[in-house]
Amino acid sequence: MDSPYLELRDVTKLFAKVVANRHVSFSIQSGEVVALLGENGAGKSTIMKILYGLYHADSGEILIKGVARKIASPKAAMALGIAMIQQHFSLVPAHSVTENIILGNASGRINLAAYQKQVRELATEYGFDIDPAALVRDLPVGVQQKVEILKALFQKARLLIMDEPTAVLTPQEAVKLMAFVRRFATAGHSVVFITHKLKEVMAVADRIIVMRNGEVHGDLLRASTDEKELSTLMIGRELPPLPEELAIPASAKEMLRLDGVSVRDAHGGCGLQEVSFAIREGEIFGIAGVSGNGQQELCEAICGFRPLASGSISLDGRDLARLGIRDRISLGIGYVPADRQKDGLVMEMSLAENMILKSSYDAKWKQWRLLDRPRIAQYANSKIQAYSIKAPGPDAVVKELSGGNQQKLVVAREVDNGTRLLIFDQPTRGLDLGAIDYVHKAILAERAKGKGVLCISTELSEIFALSDRIAVLYKGVIQGIFKKTELTTEKIGLLMAGYAIDAALPDMTKEGAK
Amino acid sequence: MNANLRDLFLSTFFAVVLGIVASASLLLFLGKNPIAAYTLLATSIIRDSYTIADIFVKATPLILTGLAFALPFKASLFNIGAQGQFYIGALAASAVSLTLGERLPGLPGILLVIVAAMVAGGLWGAFIGWVKAKFNSNEFLISMMSTYVALAVMNYFLRTALMEAKHEYPQTDTFAPRLWLPTIFEGTRLHAGFILAVLFALLTWVLLYRTDLGYRIRVVGHNPTAARLSGIEASRLYISTFFLAGALAALAGVTETNGVQHMLVQGFNPTLGAEGIGIAILANANPIGIIFAAILFGALKVGGNVMGQMSGIPASIIEIMEGFVMIFVILSYFVRNFLATRRAKSLLQKSLAV
Repeated sequence: MDSPYLELRDVTKLFAKVVANRHVSFSIQSGEVVALLGENGAGKSTIMKILYGLYHADSGEILIKGVARKIASPKAAMALGIAMIQQHFSLVPAHSVTENIILGNASGRINLAAYQKQVRELATEYGFDIDPAALVRDLPVGVQQKVEILKALFQKARLLIMDEPTAVLTPQEAVKLMAFVRRFATAGHSVVFITHKLKEVMAVADRIIVMRNGEVHGDLLRASTDEKELSTLMIGRELPPLPEELAIPASAKEMLRLDGVSVRDAHGGCGLQEVSFAIREGEIFGIAGVSGNGQQELCEAICGFRPLASGSISLDGRDLARLGIRDRISLGIGYVPADRQKDGLVMEMSLAENMILKSSYDAKWKQWRLLDRPRIAQYANSKIQAYSIKAPGPDAVVKELSGGNQQKLVVAREVDNGTRLLIFDQPTRGLDLGAIDYVHKAILAERAKGKGVLCISTELSEIFALSDRIAVLYKGVIQGIFKKTELTTEKIGLLMAGYAIDAALPDMTKEGAK
Repeated sequence: MNANLRDLFLSTFFAVVLGIVASASLLLFLGKNPIAAYTLLATSIIRDSYTIADIFVKATPLILTGLAFALPFKASLFNIGAQGQFYIGALAASAVSLTLGERLPGLPGILLVIVAAMVAGGLWGAFIGWVKAKFNSNEFLISMMSTYVALAVMNYFLRTALMEAKHEYPQTDTFAPRLWLPTIFEGTRLHAGFILAVLFALLTWVLLYRTDLGYRIRVVGHNPTAARLSGIEASRLYISTFFLAGALAALAGVTETNGVQHMLVQGFNPTLGAEGIGIAILANANPIGIIFAAILFGALKVGGNVMGQMSGIPASIIEIMEGFVMIFVILSYFVRNFLATRRAKSLLQKSLAV
């Protein structure tokens, strides 16, 4: 029998405080699409980074076509035909597509025109519609991903590793990506698809490797398994369903109100144009949309981080225009930002110190002008317990916690800060199913207390699971506000891609903000 | 934790030793016997109580200029202008001392001098924070260039209002002795300024790690975006942090004018600011560590002076030694980090095997 294209034997990788991979063994055949399924922190990315030469295994070996190899660096991996597309792209925004693709593969005097022709041919061959001379910073995220893929193809990759590739894509773009993956495999190449989404796994993979806690917990053929079995393998238990929805009483007061809010663009996004909606007490208002369509600007406008170009925002009838960030926090606005590490936490500081991030001016943390450290530790400890945050204690440094536990920390803090309104931007991005379940229940519990909730997510399942009403945001414009029952995944997908409601969905009635 | 502490002491010790050994090789090039030179260095440092006390005299302003760099550094701000803030402090201390003369009794007089100098240096520093907050100017450049302005201001006053009665040299008259910082040990130059410097190092530590202002300074230093989203106004912190840094550097002005020189001389101690940066880096910007790093540098300075006088070895060998020590101490951070990671890993490996 032929030896497989690639084989991992007993690979173990330790970080300073955690076991990332323990005795991981599996193989990948030529022409096969393997899905690496697991929750966040299960060790999927780590094992692939070992394959790609970014990390080095502490023990175990890697065989390529039956020959044991040491992969010392990504360059060595590339030489062996292994390419990896990271979750965060490694492109130079100010350079053109061609320049990015040849980066590291060309030296001396560069004949750009010849390379451009080569890139164009490669793009046509795989059916990618890309202008090789376009600057990467001008391209939407979905296209940037194609540039990354082209870069791998340009380097004659035989094994393509993709880390959560659909996270940044619309449903339609995701379908196209799947088609490419199948086609690439049919040509005799191999693909490893890292994901935690069961649907994608069932759609694209030949074989599925399930990881949990750094170990392989299942190596199954797609044909002989189903989503239920996979999810059980992945979490190690079955998830209890979310509690029944609450009906919002008609008498519920309107609390947050946006009238014709426009914001100039930032983050390479598109700003907001004439956004109007209102949230009532005890209501979860969902915002669906592909990331970068004004979601962050919306959150920042409400929090006071970004000035309005026009329009007004009021909370409980009070105009927020003249209030600063700190004033708005004290009015009871809690905000769980999409990028918790950049916007919500101080990674180098302790858990307890992060708990008082937004309330450090508050006299309750002070005693004789000094910080009342026992009290802060006690508060942090109570949250560690209430949210079952896995941490050695309140003095643990936040960067040593897993992503899920970091997110629980932010949620715990913001739920206490946001006594009136809670804004969740991508509340479960990058979390495992267990943590997602936990965060969702926390959101629903806060709604039951009568708080207003603005829930922004690119995960449609999340939007549908939580929201009472749903707005779709595309290029900073609200495409319509709908009751959950009025929408299907397909319709919302079209709205998210910017198709006009009237043309694409003539039968749909648009409900106003009021 | 204990292992980490042991690493800290061992690695720092070896770094210092390595720095000394490396500079020994340069002595060889000069055709001098390094062993003899170092024996001389060691014996000259501990020759008598006067020399030993002088180590702490030299360390005093270094502690303060080190703090003046370290405190803003915790907020990710670079204060390269401690030298200028030091001059402004010295200038204010001299102006007040000369005006007061014999009018006030010692302690209130000295306190007035200290407060005046710290406020003057603080305001000088706060200006840097203010332009940073207001115009988002680069505090590195502004603070660096402000030193030259401070120097010019000092020179101006030394040739006009504060010039000595004889009108001969650009320096002031001697201050009234009751305004001198009291000597701690008779027969040495060690003055109360050293105690002040240590006290302010402790206060800086308390400020950074036990107060909400210090907490916010560190938050801004680690993650300015999260700080802003949390309602922490970095611009106000820039001003207060630079005020405090300026005040600390200015206190070094007091310890030098009222503690050592008892007068103000044009362009004195021109390297205190730069050495403060080195000391702060050496101590990883830890206020307590800065005390020890400053004493180490004080010892090297004293030893270097004595050595230069005695054996014909250029005194600049000490600066080379300071440089080598600094390089090796910085390298030792990485060694420690490596050791800590390896220890945690082997612990994990053992727990797996069980």
